[in-house]
Amino acid sequence: MVREATRRAVLAAVVSLPLVATGCKGIGALGTPPRQQPDVTVLRDAIDGETLMISRYRAVLAAVPALAGPLDPLLQQHGEHLARLRARLIEPSTAGRPEHSPAVTASPAASPAATAVPGTPAAARAYLRQAEQAAARELLGKLTAVPPSLAQLLASIAASEASHALLLGPARRAP
Amino acid sequence: MSASIPPLAAGASARGAGQAAGRPAAPPAAVGALQAALAAEHAAVYGYGVAGAHLSGARQRAAAQDWQIHQASRDALAAMITALGAQPVAAAAAYRLPFPVRTGRAAVMLAAYLEDRVATAYLGVVALSEARLRLFGARALESAALRAAGWRGRTLAFPGLEAPAPGPVLSGSGTSQPAPGAPTAGSSSPGPASQSPPPTGPAGA
Repeated sequence: MVREATRRAVLAAVVSLPLVATGCKGIGALGTPPRQQPDVTVLRDAIDGETLMISRYRAVLAAVPALAGPLDPLLQQHGEHLARLRARLIEPSTAGRPEHSPAVTASPAASPAATAVPGTPAAARAYLRQAEQAAARELLGKLTAVPPSLAQLLASIAASEASHALLLGPARRAP
Repeated sequence: MSASIPPLAAGASARGAGQAAGRPAAPPAAVGALQAALAAEHAAVYGYGVAGAHLSGARQRAAAQDWQIHQASRDALAAMITALGAQPVAAAAAYRLPFPVRTGRAAVMLAAYLEDRVATAYLGVVALSEARLRLFGARALESAALRAAGWRGRTLAFPGLEAPAPGPVLSGSGTSQPAPGAPTAGSSSPGPASQSPPPTGPAGA
């Protein structure tokens, strides 16, 4: 009787220990609730989009170095887009998305785009042109979900990408 | 949402539209942003008239086309402002040019400059909370950026947000890309020294 009660008490105490520990952790987690606001999601998506675009340009430049002249300025502007977007993303230092930080300097081959890059200048330009148009469209589609200042930045980047697509298009010269 | 649209007596009163953050797009804010865009379109219509006079051939045709586009945009904005119960701002009788325009090269740079200004004005419309107006502003911003890129032969990283230095002198940047808006770099004259006065604005008659 006495022994059983004691044993039960000990068992209860032992079992409750991890619960107490978990409880403490839970309280600690409540102090920094994970808040995923819509604009943060949009911002992350935009950052991912720019990162992918940069990897596409690098892959194309690796495959068709002759395009460096026209493509380098556009690639540089994508770098500016990415920097401006990332400057807006304020993440807690303990954020559990470490893959976002090194994404900028990630190797160009890390993207799926690197595997399917056209090898001729004309096809490569068309490939990037299409990617720019799609990226601009995607940004425009998210404009209404974000605060005004972010909307302005996204709209400006979309306009830049649309103009990239224009310059990547077939040169319109009278023959 | 808000109740009714307060009528504004004059375009000038739309200026004080800066509202506290977090509030839905009050009509005054919308009117103010649209008036600013309209003012930029007025300036563009005037400026393209100047630019076109110094261009020829395909470039002149491109300028005429863009001139018509800005006229249409001007009219559309005026109608939108009127629908909001406000008086559309009028065009100035004349505008001070940002730099002397006496050559085709300077005219092309003026066109790009006008588009930059228009882009900036539409960026103000993008800041509005009303989804319809925000998208309208974004599309207009994109169109202006496309025309600017066509004239300039190169793109900007942040159309509307950044303001390239006004002036006909392109700092040696090899614009090897043929500009769709202005096909060939045909009769480019030696770039005039840009005295770069203040940007285009309504001139005091």
